[in-house]
Amino acid sequence: MPGLRGRVVGQHWYTPYVFMLPGLLFYAAMFAWPAVIAIQLAFSDYDIVHPVRFSGLDNFVRLAHDPRVWIALRNSLLFVLMFLPLTVVAPLFLAMLVNLKLRAIQAFRMLYYLPVITSMVAVAVTWRYVFNREGVVNWVLGLFGAGPTDFLLDRHWALPTVVLLEAWKNAGLFMMIYLAGLQSVPSDQIEAATIDGANAWQRLLNVVVPSLRPTFAVTLVLSMLEAMRAFESVYVLTRGGPLDSTLTLGYYIWSKAFEDYDMGYASAVGLLLWAIMIVLAGFNLLVTRRRDV
Amino acid sequence: MARRLYRPKPPINGRRIGLYVLLIAVAALFIGPFLILLSAATKPASQDVFGFPPDLIPRPPVFEWFREAWTTIPYARFLVNSVLYVGITVPVYLVVSALTAYPLARIAFRGRGVFFMLFLSIMFLPGELMLIPRFLVMSELGLTDTFAAVILPAILSSLGIFLLRQAFSQIPDEIVEAARVDGANEFAIFWRICVPIVAPTLAVLAILGFVSVWNSFIWPLVVLTSQSKFPIALGIAYLSGVSGTDVRGLAAGTVISLVPVIVVFLLLQKRILNSMGGAVKG
Repeated sequence: MPGLRGRVVGQHWYTPYVFMLPGLLFYAAMFAWPAVIAIQLAFSDYDIVHPVRFSGLDNFVRLAHDPRVWIALRNSLLFVLMFLPLTVVAPLFLAMLVNLKLRAIQAFRMLYYLPVITSMVAVAVTWRYVFNREGVVNWVLGLFGAGPTDFLLDRHWALPTVVLLEAWKNAGLFMMIYLAGLQSVPSDQIEAATIDGANAWQRLLNVVVPSLRPTFAVTLVLSMLEAMRAFESVYVLTRGGPLDSTLTLGYYIWSKAFEDYDMGYASAVGLLLWAIMIVLAGFNLLVTRRRDV
Repeated sequence: MARRLYRPKPPINGRRIGLYVLLIAVAALFIGPFLILLSAATKPASQDVFGFPPDLIPRPPVFEWFREAWTTIPYARFLVNSVLYVGITVPVYLVVSALTAYPLARIAFRGRGVFFMLFLSIMFLPGELMLIPRFLVMSELGLTDTFAAVILPAILSSLGIFLLRQAFSQIPDEIVEAARVDGANEFAIFWRICVPIVAPTLAVLAILGFVSVWNSFIWPLVVLTSQSKFPIALGIAYLSGVSGTDVRGLAAGTVISLVPVIVVFLLLQKRILNSMGGAVKG
């Protein structure tokens, strides 16, 4: 790194800005400007046809009294609660499995990762077929005596099914994050614990988990934000139904904006979601920082 | 019984077999659904696609559903569009990200940290929340329903700038200083010396960019109205509207859309998988 004082030969004061110019332009046009519009709209009435009209806090008053916002909020939080164990805990076991020194283990890592790279639309087509009333999942459940269920049409099953799909699709990603963490756990610590007579479960709890703390910080925040903003999966699988049982905040914003053209109100709900995500991320940062000290 | 401990890697033992059975069972969970879809796409019309017990082996496998999917919707057009979206977006993404990350790693200037945080803040402006305002920006610019509208928002990502900044800052000073003494200007140092060194990082970002552009769905759905500009993911959604209850045709169309991503993934899987953990660990 060149020294912070004195200019390096061939560099001018404007050199860094020339390099960053395209990036800054894209930032301004595709992030800063839209962000300003989003905040503006949240305090306005806008239906695309009539000009934007400033409406003060009307949208937020309406938001507080909108029962569907509360339904969406509840569903989004339920989403997070179901999603967390499936993406923060289960993939750790997957990672331990593919961390074994076995022949062809890389092939298994690859297979587990495959859903991560496939499109949500394709995954939705696949899941609707497999989770059909006469599909393979219901057949397997039938072997255990459970009656066939229309998972995506049932008020109680639709949300868990969407969560399961998101978790299944993202498990490989979380697995790889844990795998990287596991590979940096010092093996002499594990050996020392083994010599001291710790069994596999004790080794996991007392040696592996504590040294994975930074990794947990990453997976936890990633999982929460991913669940909180879940939208595409809802759109392609259930469109918020049946009876609003899969209506998440993300989907509510979409339907208000692009079905009802209630852009101002949708932006206000968007601001709410944004605030929740920042609070969750900040909370995570705080908790993991304190533990590190 | 001989003590296992001293045997050189036994070819067969109970624990290993058990682990492989477990690995294969888990693999079935992750790829089973795709295989079941493939089975539906290749079954002859005479064979049921639903029913208990499921009858998964096509007898005989047929390919007419692929032809049907291909002709029901302008499939070739959608594929060409997606190739164009990827072909334009990814190179521009790489160049812009590299240009932006370079001074953040290798030039000392006031406010460097602030600029870095600015670009990282993109993480907190996820696409889902930007749909409405970006749509309005595009109408303002007169770009709705154009290729440009699909491409422009995909050019900047915090991950790209983050990873490239890290790669650039790991280049040893001596290499750069030697060129500087020889009179190379900053851009020459960037383009001829530093960019080739960070090629592995660029490759990873190119793959991730390919996957994300190929799969992008919601933003094109919002900003495009002409079918002739649809990317493949939108095409599948369209096919599922057109074909209604025709499970075989829809399955076949979906399988075709999955092939390019899966092929790229299989060819480059080592690189992708090794990068994922590293990217997050930072």
